[in-house]
Amino acid sequence: MINRTSIIKQPDKISFFYDVYKLQKKYQDSLISGKSNINFIWLGEHQLCYTLGRGSNMGNLLFSADEQDVFKIDRGGEVTCHMPGQLVTYLVLDLSNFNKDLNWYLRKIEKIIIKTLRSFNIDCSTKDGFTGVWIGERKIASIGIGCKRWVTIHGFSINVNCKLENFNKIVPCGIEGCRMVNMSDYNKNVEIKEVKKIVKKIIHEEFKFNFV
Amino acid sequence: MSHEIFMPALSSTMTEGKIVEWLKNPGDKVERGESVLVVESDKADMDVESFQDGYLAAVLMPAGSTAPVGETIGLIVENQDEIASIQEQNKVKQIEVSSDAQLELPNNKSEIKEEMQKDVPQNNEQEVEIKREKVLITSNEIQFNASTSNNSSRLIASPRAKKLASTMGVELAKVRGSGPHGRIQADDVLKANGQPVSIPWIGEGSSSSSIGSPHIQAESKSEILGNSFGNPGETVQFNTLQKAVNKNMESSLNVPCFRVGYSINTDKLDNFYKKVKQNGVTMTALLVKAVAKTLKKHPQVNSSFSENGISYPENINIAVAVAMEDGGLITPVLKEPCNTDLFELSREWKDLVKRSRAKQLEPDEYSTGTFTLSNLGMFGVDRFDAILPPGTGAILAIASSKPTVVANNDGSISVKKIMQVNLTADHRVIYGADGASFLKDLSSLIENEPETLVA
Repeated sequence: MINRTSIIKQPDKISFFYDVYKLQKKYQDSLISGKSNINFIWLGEHQLCYTLGRGSNMGNLLFSADEQDVFKIDRGGEVTCHMPGQLVTYLVLDLSNFNKDLNWYLRKIEKIIIKTLRSFNIDCSTKDGFTGVWIGERKIASIGIGCKRWVTIHGFSINVNCKLENFNKIVPCGIEGCRMVNMSDYNKNVEIKEVKKIVKKIIHEEFKFNFV
Repeated sequence: MSHEIFMPALSSTMTEGKIVEWLKNPGDKVERGESVLVVESDKADMDVESFQDGYLAAVLMPAGSTAPVGETIGLIVENQDEIASIQEQNKVKQIEVSSDAQLELPNNKSEIKEEMQKDVPQNNEQEVEIKREKVLITSNEIQFNASTSNNSSRLIASPRAKKLASTMGVELAKVRGSGPHGRIQADDVLKANGQPVSIPWIGEGSSSSSIGSPHIQAESKSEILGNSFGNPGETVQFNTLQKAVNKNMESSLNVPCFRVGYSINTDKLDNFYKKVKQNGVTMTALLVKAVAKTLKKHPQVNSSFSENGISYPENINIAVAVAMEDGGLITPVLKEPCNTDLFELSREWKDLVKRSRAKQLEPDEYSTGTFTLSNLGMFGVDRFDAILPPGTGAILAIASSKPTVVANNDGSISVKKIMQVNLTADHRVIYGADGASFLKDLSSLIENEPETLVA
């Protein structure tokens, strides 16, 4: 039987990356072991931290690794950076109940981001071969996914009104000269609270969840 | 015997995948379901698991290389002593591979394959021949299967199909292939074996078959029915747990208790339970959640007697009585159920029950309850009353929910499922009115808005 029940957590306070990571792992493990069939979605913000995908190159960290909170984690993609003012969304989903296709899943996530930004009148697009969402040559949202037995972990982050200087310490996504932008650069009054609401709504439309 | 690890298809459009990292080294022990390597497709990483216990004998494609979907990329053996021979065999292959400049880069390999297929007349036999000569890893795999199926050298079958055929004992020669040029696919083997066609690409090591059964064990105590710890004519010493329970029960004789009962309509709760049961939610977790939420509104019922006065605990921790098979009972505690979602709470409860039966609870997991639940509903009892555990102010006895003829306020008659609950409380701290208004709110929560118990 297809189960699309999901728990959604959206704390207002800034969360530690590692706490949320453990929470995701817990839901992923329960889905994998069959202990539960509840999907899990988390929307929130992190303290400043840097995360590295499994295939990432330490050379893309432009500072010594012990200087900041740096986490090497089980997702695809290169190095990225999280901080307050950036909306992070994690989806722990059992793709067996949707479509066992990671390409489909990545495109679905891009679609969610694009629909979100468009509802704030921000025109953006995808770029072939460069997963993520772009405004021209500038990157506004990053994606990184891990998957085990078709149960996903991690997700995407949208720069809403964060301190983009923090990206200067890394080569974002391993793309040299990649420039990041904020939603607030295009829509001054944007608030993370509002973005959160829209992301939640669109996730619901796209994945047809029963949120509980 | 060796088992192959294949490059999985991470998406329907994927033709080849990149190996990001081998999480295991050749010679390492691997368990069924354990991640062995990571394959990448764009910004998504997929853990590839072992489908059985054994040892990683050989890595045929190193980290950083790319292999076509379905290609054998590693080998797992069941016994440690098989590793050496597989590695020996494989060393030879590797030397051969590296002596052939064209085949050194796995990226080139699929191109070569394609080129060759263009040149070759559409003849199955010849295609196999070429694969044998040039694409060494494929030939390697044919070799392994040759031992299980005599005619396999004349057949084209997907690696997956070969593996299935060898594990199921299906003779490939007798299988009709539905793939290109009559290539035998995994589905064909399954069909030939009379099995429904449904194969996950990855993760055969799922152990989800046990969903629900631990729950049933945890909730139904039918095995203790008619239990006896000794034979007729004997006197059996109390075990430690029984002695502890006795002490607690005796101390309750010094507590002036009263009882107050309520009949609760559970139609909505039962419907809600049906919906969430498939998500691993247990009735115990639902009741605990309902009680905890109601206690939050009625702190008096969560209080207890102390020499200095009425003691109000900082937390709401619900203890639930669990009978032990060898006598006595234990009260594992669900801490702060109001702060835990229903699904997590159900998981915690299952874990607590499992560990209490295995006698692995830490003291703070059974001694920190501020309110106790005792549920005998699974036996079909109408009503009962419970004895107050020391150090707490109240305990709720929950009976079975039964279809009951009910007279409604408008004079009509209907059949509703009614559950009787009975609160036992220490009258020094909790009065009749406190208990009654607690039960009224508990009943209203269960009868009207059970769906709010989720969060």
